[in-house]
Amino acid sequence: MFTSNPFFVLTDFLPVFAMQAYIILMLVAVVAGTLLDTTHKGSALFFARRREEAKAAAQRQLSGLETASLAARTLAEAAVSGEFCKWKRRVSHLLMMYGFLLYVMTTIVMVFVYPADAQTPIILPLLWDLGALMILAGALWFFFFLRVNVVHDGDSPFHVGRADLFVGSLIGSTAFALIWHAVQTVANPAVGLLFFSLYLFFTTLLFVSVFWSKFAHMFYKPVVAFQRRVEEADGSSDLPAPSRDSMR
Amino acid sequence: MPTYTDMTRCDGCGECVDICPSDIMHIDPVYRRSYNIEPNFCWECYSCVKACPQHAIDVRGYADFAPLGHKVRVLREEAKGIISWKIRFRDGREKAFTFPIRTTPWGSIRPPSDYEAPAANSLGSQLLAHEPDALKVETLPTLPAFREEGGALP
Repeated sequence: MFTSNPFFVLTDFLPVFAMQAYIILMLVAVVAGTLLDTTHKGSALFFARRREEAKAAAQRQLSGLETASLAARTLAEAAVSGEFCKWKRRVSHLLMMYGFLLYVMTTIVMVFVYPADAQTPIILPLLWDLGALMILAGALWFFFFLRVNVVHDGDSPFHVGRADLFVGSLIGSTAFALIWHAVQTVANPAVGLLFFSLYLFFTTLLFVSVFWSKFAHMFYKPVVAFQRRVEEADGSSDLPAPSRDSMR
Repeated sequence: MPTYTDMTRCDGCGECVDICPSDIMHIDPVYRRSYNIEPNFCWECYSCVKACPQHAIDVRGYADFAPLGHKVRVLREEAKGIISWKIRFRDGREKAFTFPIRTTPWGSIRPPSDYEAPAANSLGSQLLAHEPDALKVETLPTLPAFREEGGALP
């Protein structure tokens, strides 16, 4: 059941070209949404201005090797979600991040390389399902037990707002993706079509709502983290340097 | 000077919401990051500044007597028991201060929820909840007993 290419059944009523065009459209939507988001909020302008100010306040110039080392350390921190100070949020974020990478990459490979191939390598649909399960586990844990407004601000676990657009559409997309994949072999085509429609709706919502959701954080967070490391290294940071003393 | 949150640093952990004695640190419904909902009501106790693990909360003077353009940044190092402040004036001058933040290890004070709930008849007692044990009187330094001239110990 979970070893078949989930997109293979679509070739009965959809041309392969339509599936590939959909993925390209979603990629364009993400790029456009991210650009609109950073332009509308002025965050790109703010970041550029702050970078210029930091350059002017720098006490020393960093060498290429030092900059590369800072970039590597930023990537290493992002790879383990090291920016989170609470382990539960960190684990939940790691599940969602790596699940999302698996989910998206296997989708692209299956749609572009094996769209009409019933002999798709088993590992691809398995990884697609694993990615969706990882996202679902991390996102549901986060949604009901870790959201800061629920844990610290007294909101109900069922309280939903604009800030939940990203995690909500992610949950919808992966949950219906798994159900759709599961019912492909055990239910009639109408049920499959129903769950495919729901999967398509939430997936489209996830990618076209970048302007209103926090989707773009995966692009600008590492950039800001890198800039922060640069400022700490070249002496332009506003933060005090760590003390060499200890009061204990 | 009241506090404000740098949303690019905040990771939405909620520590400031829990610790604020004035209950003015809340979570933004759109960005899910903390913010000071009413700077006028800030006691300027800086509990949130010291509690923030991301150093995302700073202080900012009212514009009428502290024109914008300055920076007041804080770094808390709980393992060292130190808090450092860096003040950058509008003309570029800088001042730095380092203070001990507390005398006991960070996280060593038990919150009230860790103690057993007092019995109902404790309401009639003059002691506050968990006193005298929680006062740890036996660990306090004591003065030598007073002795009047030529007299005996009371």
